[in-house]
Amino acid sequence: MSIYVKNILRFILLIGIQVLLLNHIYLRWWGTNISGAPPFIAYIYPLVILLLPMNMPRWLMLLLSFGTGLTMDAFMNTGGMHAAACLLMGYLRRPILSSILPNKMEEFKQATPSASFMGLNSFLLYALIALFIHHFFFFILEIWSLKSFGYLLLKTLATLVTSLFFVLIYHFLFEKRLK
Amino acid sequence: MRKLFLLLRHYWSFILFLILMAFSFRLIAKRNSIQGVDIINSSNAIVGVVYSIQSQIQQYFSLKKTNAILLQENAALHNQLSKEGFVDTFEDLNVTVPIVGLDSVKIKELSNPSEDDSTTTQKDTIQFRKSNVRKVIKYASHYYIPARVINNSIADDRINIITINRGAKDGIRPNMAVVTSNGIVGRVLKVSENYATVLSLLSEGRPYNAKLIDGTTGSIAWDRGSANSVTMHKIPKIADVQLGDSIYTTGYSIFPENILIGTIAKIEIDKKSNARNLRVLLSTNFRNLQVVYVVKDELGEEKEDLEEASKKMIK
Repeated sequence: MSIYVKNILRFILLIGIQVLLLNHIYLRWWGTNISGAPPFIAYIYPLVILLLPMNMPRWLMLLLSFGTGLTMDAFMNTGGMHAAACLLMGYLRRPILSSILPNKMEEFKQATPSASFMGLNSFLLYALIALFIHHFFFFILEIWSLKSFGYLLLKTLATLVTSLFFVLIYHFLFEKRLK
Repeated sequence: MRKLFLLLRHYWSFILFLILMAFSFRLIAKRNSIQGVDIINSSNAIVGVVYSIQSQIQQYFSLKKTNAILLQENAALHNQLSKEGFVDTFEDLNVTVPIVGLDSVKIKELSNPSEDDSTTTQKDTIQFRKSNVRKVIKYASHYYIPARVINNSIADDRINIITINRGAKDGIRPNMAVVTSNGIVGRVLKVSENYATVLSLLSEGRPYNAKLIDGTTGSIAWDRGSANSVTMHKIPKIADVQLGDSIYTTGYSIFPENILIGTIAKIEIDKKSNARNLRVLLSTNFRNLQVVYVVKDELGEEKEDLEEASKKMIK
């Protein structure tokens, strides 16, 4: 399959999963009946940006992440929060990848930074760092105060764990077939 | 000059990053001021179509539950009708509906034939009012426009927005009240041709008016982060408050009077003012919103205009 078709398919699939499925699953930790811990959603759509080919020029990378974020914003009524968080993640993708991978980025041409390419452990590390940046920035924008920093961290970590879980499931279900 | 161009070329991606970031912050700022005109929201055409297709598929799975809710609502309405059966017209019904601070469960008990006293006294008061107040034809007429929820969010920390499948074509205007059969939902925020967005009760911003069972009024505000409770602040000590009491809407705001909001789940004493803050468990289940009603208040605009004009006179 051509690399363009593959990425467009992945975009539609991931946005579909996020909008039609994950947005309707409100998870919560423990909590009493009245005003327990707030509900949260897992985010899987950042994978669209994480799995773009490695040799992509940085400006295109930024535009694509911004577009993905805006699409999510339109679906979730969040103004520009997803766009901003995706943009930051897209901008920092290259430094993260080059710190994890042994070789230089330019050597891998059109390879996709997926688990089958870089190994499950380093893929998980990559996803963990990138998703943490995305979630942390997104929740800063959403909560918009540093008064309750512990709450912010708690929400970020809980969402991060569940997001990673869904990323793994997605990876085992679809990523091998897209190849 | 050449150096400047080289510099620009070197930092080109960073500059693009900053520009795009500034643009998205602009969008966020527009969204956070509720009056702002945001372009990107779920009442636009493409997103609305996706959501309505999804909800068309999804509603088949909840048909049973929806049916049960509708049956309950029907029963409650029948109970109400059987009490007022002798009133001639709908408009008169609106005038003479007695204002009773009881919730639907208790209304059922009242309509039992065993308790004849209470029903006869109510009949008497109605007849009395009917014979005296003849000139009043319209007191308040609310039209309920049913709508289906096609997108709903409860996980946001500050503003939660619901999308419904009715729009300007069906007579929906901004700032109308939205209720369900067993509670309140919020108010209409933005309207497009076929869809509308609703600012959920689970949002920061303007508090709503509420009253206790004995008529003490106050205002309710959302507890941030919670999907099922609001707080009613600063209720004076003289008010008779007990756990499990119901909270209702007042006629002051956009909502019709005497709609159930929720029940008191916790009473906290504010140490500074010795007043009490009440945690209210909402009767609306925001996790499972299917059908809502948009309330069109015929005389609402007139009321607002009058209030505005009187405020201006005082100034």
